[in-house]
Amino acid sequence: MTSAVGYLSCLAAIDLSGLLAYNTLIVAAGTAAVGCAAGVVGSLSVLRKRALVGDAAAHVTLVGVATAFALTGRRDLPTLLAGGFAAALAGLLVLVVMRRYTRTRDDAATAIVLSVGFGGGIALVAGMTARGIPGSAGLENFLLGHTAALTARDAGVLAGVSLATVVVVMLFLKEATLVAFDRSFAAAAGWPVAVVDYLLVVLVAVMVVVGLPAAGAVLVTALVVIPPVAARQWTDRLGTMLVLAGVIGLVSAVTGVAISAVVPRLATGPVIVLVAAAIFAISVLFTRWRSPREAA
Amino acid sequence: MSLAPPLVEFHDVTVAYGRRPVLWNVDLTISEPCLFGVVGPNGAGKSTLLKAALGLVPLAGGMVRLFGQPLERVRRRVGYVPQRETVDWDFPVSVMDVVLMGTYSRVGWLRRPAAAERAVARESLARVGLEDLADRQIGRLSGGQQQRVFLARALAQQADVYFLDEPMAGVDARSQEQILAVLSGLRDAGKLVIVVHHDLRAVTDWFDAVALIDMRLVAAGPTRETLTPDNLRRTYAGAIDVLDEVGRAVQRRSRTP
Repeated sequence: MTSAVGYLSCLAAIDLSGLLAYNTLIVAAGTAAVGCAAGVVGSLSVLRKRALVGDAAAHVTLVGVATAFALTGRRDLPTLLAGGFAAALAGLLVLVVMRRYTRTRDDAATAIVLSVGFGGGIALVAGMTARGIPGSAGLENFLLGHTAALTARDAGVLAGVSLATVVVVMLFLKEATLVAFDRSFAAAAGWPVAVVDYLLVVLVAVMVVVGLPAAGAVLVTALVVIPPVAARQWTDRLGTMLVLAGVIGLVSAVTGVAISAVVPRLATGPVIVLVAAAIFAISVLFTRWRSPREAA
Repeated sequence: MSLAPPLVEFHDVTVAYGRRPVLWNVDLTISEPCLFGVVGPNGAGKSTLLKAALGLVPLAGGMVRLFGQPLERVRRRVGYVPQRETVDWDFPVSVMDVVLMGTYSRVGWLRRPAAAERAVARESLARVGLEDLADRQIGRLSGGQQQRVFLARALAQQADVYFLDEPMAGVDARSQEQILAVLSGLRDAGKLVIVVHHDLRAVTDWFDAVALIDMRLVAAGPTRETLTPDNLRRTYAGAIDVLDEVGRAVQRRSRTP
């Protein structure tokens, strides 16, 4: 009883007017573009069975963001994200090298890159915060996502990169689908499957980086993985799946931004993930109920 | 007599996975269009031989020529049916989508298949008897139907040499008949059809010529002359040893009271 009263009085403290502030709307629009693009790019990544590689890249971005800040002393979003992207590419390169030249299996190599990159990032951020380097405290926003700090210009950059990524996916959709579905047939027909694979991985790296401000290094994978898997429940068509995944990503992202804008100290990432997970659960339950598959 | 180069040539082809050789010095030339079977025990390197021809595995030694040329020059003239288990049949594509993939090489980068390619795909589907299932998701097909989709995709490649990896594996009798009819039709149209096949039954009925493979090439030639008891024993030597061992073990057990 008392806890219910406490919760209600807590709700009363929430300032809903912040929701409609100009900056919040701009940020919501930018994040909507990010969520949508993440769903589209993620669909191909999930179909190529590369979800974990994206997760590794996402965690590694943290060390890049921290390094970019340490080297330049700047904390504007493009600089930090450029650092994150460079680190993601470096992490992916390490992954390729480990697979080819060491006796490390895919899953182990992915886990190593993920944990080492993330551990390095945490250590760097903690070190700089402890030494009281001005501005370094803001880096923690890249852990779980914190859109409230974004400017309209930041949102524009995120939306622009997201849009460009979707355009690239549309251009190479035929090739990416072919390689994701049947690699050996594609190779036998003369398609450069490795190039298409690398292109897809780089697109995913771009998406996790632009998703960082919204969902953070820890949770951004969810934005790339959950919407496609939820969308797949509804359709057997790739085109429909891409559109649906985009819509689900968009709805998750916007809801996350809105809720975290009105609840003090609530990071954006967890909310986005929970909304996406709820949509996934509803998708599974509803599609099973609508057409139960044979219980085999 | 034509002076055209042989359709397919393997010269001293050796393939190794890591340090373990799977094909050793295979020398094989196929000059005439025919239905050609590649036969041998499990793990004999039959699929690897196809993959070597298609450039899917690196050669540790030797070379492959198609139409007298390196593969890169003639890829458009090559059709391929991989093993059915190599793809995820839950993938969200329709039967038509998969068959259209056979036309992608002609379509090229960045462009989408147009009406002409769709017509080719539809005609290929009709040849394997699946025109009514064009819109179905590929996971909702029987094993035999899935195999026929793969065959239709290869037909849509409009090739001159076709490589098929175990097209009869896990396939119902009706689909088997249909696949065989399509392959015979290709042969009759002057195409070379090379089929990896694990089952010794029906080999004499189906294939004009065979290669018996057990890491090395044991024998090759017209089916009736090649499929001799002696050649079979040499090809399946390892497998027959296993059978003998099983037989002895059973005898021993039946003797003990």
